[in-house]
Amino acid sequence: MSDYLKTRREFVKTSVWGASAAWTVPMFLDRTFAEIDQKTRDLAVQADSGKDREILVVLQLAGGNDGLNTVVPYGDDAYHKARPGLGKEKTELIALNDHLGLNKSLGYLGELYGEGDLAVVQGVGYPNPNRSHFVATSVWETADPSAKSNTGWLGRYFDSECPGADPTVGISLKKTQPEAFGAEKNPGICLNTPELYRWMHAGGDDAMAEEMFASLNQPGEEASGSSIEEVGKAGGKVGEDSLAFLERVALDAQVSSKRILEVAAKYQSKVRYAGTPIARSMNLVSRMIAGGLSTRVYYVSHGGFDTHQGQEGRHDNLLGQMDEALKAFFTDLKQQGNYDRVTVLTFSEFGRRVAQNASAGTDHGKGSCLFVAGGGVKGGLYGEHPSLADLDQGDLKHTVDFRSVYATVLEKWLKGNSQVAVKGKYEVMGFMG
Amino acid sequence: MLTEAPDTWTLQEAAHLLNRAGFGGNPREVKEFHGRGRKKAVEWLLAMEAPLDEISVPGWAVDEKAVLAQARERFAGMREGMRGLSAEEQEKKRRELNQERQREQRQQSVDLQEWWFRRMVVTKAPLREKMTLFWHDHFPSSVQKVRVAYLLYKQNALYREHAVGNFKELTRAVAVDPAMMLYLDTQTSKKGKPNENFSRELMELFTLGEGNYTEEDVKEAARAFTGYIVNRGTGQVTHQRLQWDGGEKTVLGKSGKFDGNGVIDVLFGQKACAEYLPKKLWEFFAYEGPSTELVEGLGQSFRDGAFEVKPLLREIFLSKEFYSNSALRTQIKGPVQFLVGMLRQLELAGLPKVYTVSICQQLGQVLFLPPNVAGWDWGRAWINTNALLTRYNVAGFVTKGTDAEAIASAGGGGGGGGEQMMDRVRGMMRSVGRNWAGPDYDKLVPRELRGDSGELVKLLSFRLFQTQLEEKQRKTFEQYADAKRGLVFTNTEVAELTHLMMSTPHYQLT
Repeated sequence: MSDYLKTRREFVKTSVWGASAAWTVPMFLDRTFAEIDQKTRDLAVQADSGKDREILVVLQLAGGNDGLNTVVPYGDDAYHKARPGLGKEKTELIALNDHLGLNKSLGYLGELYGEGDLAVVQGVGYPNPNRSHFVATSVWETADPSAKSNTGWLGRYFDSECPGADPTVGISLKKTQPEAFGAEKNPGICLNTPELYRWMHAGGDDAMAEEMFASLNQPGEEASGSSIEEVGKAGGKVGEDSLAFLERVALDAQVSSKRILEVAAKYQSKVRYAGTPIARSMNLVSRMIAGGLSTRVYYVSHGGFDTHQGQEGRHDNLLGQMDEALKAFFTDLKQQGNYDRVTVLTFSEFGRRVAQNASAGTDHGKGSCLFVAGGGVKGGLYGEHPSLADLDQGDLKHTVDFRSVYATVLEKWLKGNSQVAVKGKYEVMGFMG
Repeated sequence: MLTEAPDTWTLQEAAHLLNRAGFGGNPREVKEFHGRGRKKAVEWLLAMEAPLDEISVPGWAVDEKAVLAQARERFAGMREGMRGLSAEEQEKKRRELNQERQREQRQQSVDLQEWWFRRMVVTKAPLREKMTLFWHDHFPSSVQKVRVAYLLYKQNALYREHAVGNFKELTRAVAVDPAMMLYLDTQTSKKGKPNENFSRELMELFTLGEGNYTEEDVKEAARAFTGYIVNRGTGQVTHQRLQWDGGEKTVLGKSGKFDGNGVIDVLFGQKACAEYLPKKLWEFFAYEGPSTELVEGLGQSFRDGAFEVKPLLREIFLSKEFYSNSALRTQIKGPVQFLVGMLRQLELAGLPKVYTVSICQQLGQVLFLPPNVAGWDWGRAWINTNALLTRYNVAGFVTKGTDAEAIASAGGGGGGGGEQMMDRVRGMMRSVGRNWAGPDYDKLVPRELRGDSGELVKLLSFRLFQTQLEEKQRKTFEQYADAKRGLVFTNTEVAELTHLMMSTPHYQLT
């Protein structure tokens, strides 16, 4: 039995069954789990570890990636007319066919496309799109076009499809918890530097300090046991007070810390990663995978895509950084023998206006393209490229609902039911397996 | 008007006001503040008696003329240096000069971040710095995009000057603030091809809030903000009539040949505008999700007071509701509040210079580097498993309750620059940790007061929490103190106890 499970079992014993009415369920403990008869709880605790199962890496391109200069409809005159300065010619692209080409900065993704491991999904969006970064990001993360949901699509997946999983089921490498992880029970964890992912105290192996720290960092009996029906956006519950929220995060941190440290110590990559933040994030994900964490979803973010002004070099550069990081990452996974277990899904809150603006940049737009890459992907072009002749107030009309993309990944890759996570039944597409 | 609270108040209420309207203080300061009585304490905060130049600015920002002269000189020198060079050599030279400029700007950004942070720690006008932070979050600009530290310094001075001034006047000033113009692309917005960035955020984030305007309003207003040009070298802003779209615009139902100020006048005529800022101020100072009645009441006062911020803050700080259980110790400290407050509690004047920025980065709030145009996400968004453990470890460093060297070196880096750079940073941080003196515990907790664990914990609790501890915590801390007690209770043990007390969910609240 792992230390983690031991810790958790001790916690369960002392706090859930031991304490009286006013208990607060830690985020990762399923409510039903707490109600299981004591005799069978070992079975429940030792659920499928998920150690060798499929992994999804969600890669956010924050700021609104210009889809039209990522996957370029170079064969369309309307494209060149709308973008006299920013438009790309065929010679500046990696042609996918006689109409479309990949931005030249995406050399590695071009190779993957050739090998059949890259799916390009075109025209992804949703009805009545919002042009605010914050609202649009919320829509994508919560899979709710009204942006009113308190839980995220991945958080709902953790809750409904991974019952009893420990908090490392989802790991975000962002500085803040992504809204996509918002959950009623298990919102995953955030991780930045594994070496620092522990309480460092002066006592060395001072067991007493550890013990006191542990007791101070779990829900107290006097914690206000408010309703656990609703959840706030950052993973906290609505109506729950700040202290109860902090105590639950503290407990999650405590119980996941040891596992993370063990795993981080195990593996050093032989592949060279660039010094960019995105490369460093991908490197850390690869270490966690190699170390055998049972994590199902990693979340990384690559920012700077809000190119209102002087777009050309900047946008190419950002795509290049992503391409370089993915190349190192997939090469690393191949060496580990984990290539076929990992799929990367990119998304961005919106694409950009078809016409360039006066600042040699582009303003907030609507539908856009995204990538799905990895050994389990059936490569090719999916969805229909939106027409550049038939625009909606200067913007592309979407042809694929983003929730279809999520549903496909959830059903075909993570092998779960997608309906709770994406709030409804959406068509499963053909790009997985 | 909100119901006023009586003039007599408790120590905890005084500490609450000092924490929220500023960055807290040490026990002596809290007691002094309490002694003024509620009304006089609020007036003292609002008076902001310390001069605007209470601490000296970074050398390069002292003299505006010198900064500009230097920029011109560099430009002239660049042209001079180019003469007689081949195209290839010129290109190389240009790259070198560019790199030098970037290095200098990076250094100046760090100076600036460290300078403002230190200012918050030592200020005698805490509300001014707190409000400057509020404005920086409300009207954010990032050095990452603006790239000229001096312009951000100027913007910061603008916010400080208007700290409790008039919201409408400040909004007008922000529209032509050089850093903001570069941050939200007003700079490149021209007649015929307006850039919508500033116009959109002006409505969505600065004055009205989502849902109180249409896409059409954004497009129309953007036309009004065309033709404003900022000179990057000098920071001068001019309005060039030829590039301004002087045609008729319709914004929120009002039509006219608006320029920027014309649009701002229209926005400030909206009911949503009168309530948007008061709600945000209430959430910043008191608690999230105030009732509609409360917001409407504040909105009424704000509009009646012609958008003056000072009377609005007075109303908030004197209200009964501000000291209710919904407000007391319910706010999750932001990283800057957490750090500055900790230093003030421990009577420290600052952190090692390079470490200041590094810690802020790890905790998720670097001054002059807000994540985006909405500023930072506050409240629960500051906290996740990683952030919480990082806070505990930072407390270990500051208190010297643990191996500061290990913490500083493991957390270093963060920016770009590859492995070599990382190694250099780690080495630097190691020495920072080694040389950190920590708090003066002999002064904070005199040795004669360490005899009894109960008294010791009580003393430290007032300093760190200013409230009664829960039974379980108090006992745990006392047990720890008892167990650590050898022949004497040395500074090391005080540091370890302080660190443990800070490594708790409770310490994250104010």
